Amino acid sequence: MKKQMVAMLLAGGQGTRLKELTNAVAKPAIPFGGKYRIIDFPLSNCTNSEIRTVGVLTQYEPHLLHQYIGLGTPWDLDRRNGGVTMLPPYAEADGIKWYDGTANAIFQNLKFLEAHDPEYVLILSGDHIYKMNYLLMLDFHKNQQADATISVIEVPWEEASRFGLMETDGDMQVKRFVEKPENPKSNLASMGVYIFNYQKLKEYLKADADKEDSSHDFGKDIIPAMLENGEKMVAYPYKGYWKDVGTVESLWEANMDLLNLESGLVIHDPAWRIFSSNPQLPPQVVTENCEIEESFINEGCIIEGKVRKSVISQNVHIKEGAEVDECVVMAGAVIGAGAKVSRAIITPDLHIPDNYVLKKKDRDITLLTNYTINNPEGREDDAASSGN
Amino acid sequence: MMRLAAVIDATVTIPGLKELAMYRSSASIPFAGRYRLIDFALSNIVNSNISSVGVFASQQSVSLMDHVGKGKSWDLDRRRNGLFFLPTSQREGDQFSVGSFAALEDHLSFFRKSAQPYVMVTSAFTISQINYNDMLEKHIASGADITEAVHNGNCMKSYILSKDLLLRMIKGFREERVVSVEDIVNLKKKPYTFAQYEYGGYFVLINSMESYFNESMALLDAENWRKLFLPERPIYTKVKDEPPTKYLKGSKVKRSLVANGSLLDGEISDSILSRAVEIGKNSKLEKCIIMQKCVIEEGCSLLYVVADKDVHIKAGTIIRGTKEKPVVIRKGSVVSEGDGV
Repeated sequence: MKKQMVAMLLAGGQGTRLKELTNAVAKPAIPFGGKYRIIDFPLSNCTNSEIRTVGVLTQYEPHLLHQYIGLGTPWDLDRRNGGVTMLPPYAEADGIKWYDGTANAIFQNLKFLEAHDPEYVLILSGDHIYKMNYLLMLDFHKNQQADATISVIEVPWEEASRFGLMETDGDMQVKRFVEKPENPKSNLASMGVYIFNYQKLKEYLKADADKEDSSHDFGKDIIPAMLENGEKMVAYPYKGYWKDVGTVESLWEANMDLLNLESGLVIHDPAWRIFSSNPQLPPQVVTENCEIEESFINEGCIIEGKVRKSVISQNVHIKEGAEVDECVVMAGAVIGAGAKVSRAIITPDLHIPDNYVLKKKDRDITLLTNYTINNPEGREDDAASSGN
Repeated sequence: MMRLAAVIDATVTIPGLKELAMYRSSASIPFAGRYRLIDFALSNIVNSNISSVGVFASQQSVSLMDHVGKGKSWDLDRRRNGLFFLPTSQREGDQFSVGSFAALEDHLSFFRKSAQPYVMVTSAFTISQINYNDMLEKHIASGADITEAVHNGNCMKSYILSKDLLLRMIKGFREERVVSVEDIVNLKKKPYTFAQYEYGGYFVLINSMESYFNESMALLDAENWRKLFLPERPIYTKVKDEPPTKYLKGSKVKRSLVANGSLLDGEISDSILSRAVEIGKNSKLEKCIIMQKCVIEEGCSLLYVVADKDVHIKAGTIIRGTKEKPVVIRKGSVVSEGDGV
């Protein structure tokens, strides 16, 4: 059936810079904000933007993602017409083809897009924390009569060289796209959110598939090819909170942004809810001797110790005398009595022994796992440092 | 195949809880922060693998219907069996005993259609972790006509009997001059034979404002919440998409049960907070039950207060109840200092 816009969510990435967190799950499935997974944000944005057909492309460690998304019920995407469709790589008469690049993943699912016959295709990734109304972007795309619209956000100049940057003219027409330049001439970073006219996209995906030297990537191949041919490409200036949570440090920072009233990341907003699966858990229990300040705590927790500036996921037990400071504690973790941890991400179901003290050489963010607890001296790459 | 069907008699009115049942059926009174009274019966039913449930409701049942829906949250939206919401001709306030024949009579087809040979009849205000399968086995072994669940000799208002017997009782209740299953058990009506099933876990019966308040407060004791919130037998309720609760800078929250979606400031102790509550700076709450979406502005002081859903308490309001007589604020009220609450 003819659709106005279909969303394609790229969720196959491994996210190696997130280390042990992605040993067993794909990056979009990483827990965030005490209750969510990263993929809840683009999926909820689709729901709230009334986009009702979403393809989720998976490849790396897909099981948890498939199970988590299921029929799409938490996002109201369990629909008769459209809804959410999981799109892992599949076998054809001439063999199995793994997804090889972001553009290739879409190319291999042209059959899915053909079946929905959309006017526009929205390309999303499962790596970012942000709340965005994609329909406003679509309006912009239509008004500009563009072939492709790339959502951009202004980043601080000193950080600009970490991003893919769009150089634009006064009408937001994209003149050049440069990936992580040393000397940035723009501070408009691509958010990895694209709208394409479907017919145009199909044309370029097919041409790209035939190029042997192509890396089949939107940023590296498709967008440059379209620019070169003079297609109308515009940058949609997004204003609001957006964060790439590709490293341990940035994942920690984004969690801390939930606690900071000035960060712009507001999750207590009934008008733009972030939907998520809701396990049935009892209310959180806070006991006589607990101290809780500036923290985010989910249901099923038992808090007997001291918690400051932390994000605590479901079913976490913080025992008496424990001190948790500036931490992200993932689901099911137990912080033993008298244990002290600070500036760390504590992985799911980790049991921190009683009286354990996390010794820190610096203010870097530690990813606490079974390995780090049992090997306090650690490997060189254990203490996650920023920006790597 | 499961041999037991379940009936929740939600037509029963709890006279002492009128204040909280003004705009809702007794069965949908909020309890323990994120639940409604009926959740506990429904969850026990689901945790006992019973798949056919009739919820018999009185005429005033909009809030109950909204809460229960088609039973999705309890995994009871099934193609076969599942949850049946059965509105009856009973008016709120007509029924005070459980298993009302006049109500059951309105939906005989529920019993005729269900393939299960036994029926468990319970109230919506029995809060326990009872296993009805175990009770059914004991019922069959006893050879009695009706088995009543008891806890330390106290009636739990839950009964098991055969479907055939229940249908015979419904047919003849007017001539027999009885009104309900509970009535028959209490009268030890002849010629029926009776057995008791002793249950030893968490149990409270909410049958007055006093028991509502005291049992809520008792849940703050670790030995009680540990017995009610069993990881292997979860209590299910209608799913809401609330974010985790945010404790603001300077807040002091102690010895409380807190649901999701709240923004907490001020000083809170010995209290139960439902979902999406806002407590303002420098407010002090002690021994309070604050229901869903209440807003308590800055600088309030509340002691022994039950604030029903959507109550808004303006800045600087002081309300003092007592243990014996907590102040109950009606759903949706706006209260400010000088209102004489």
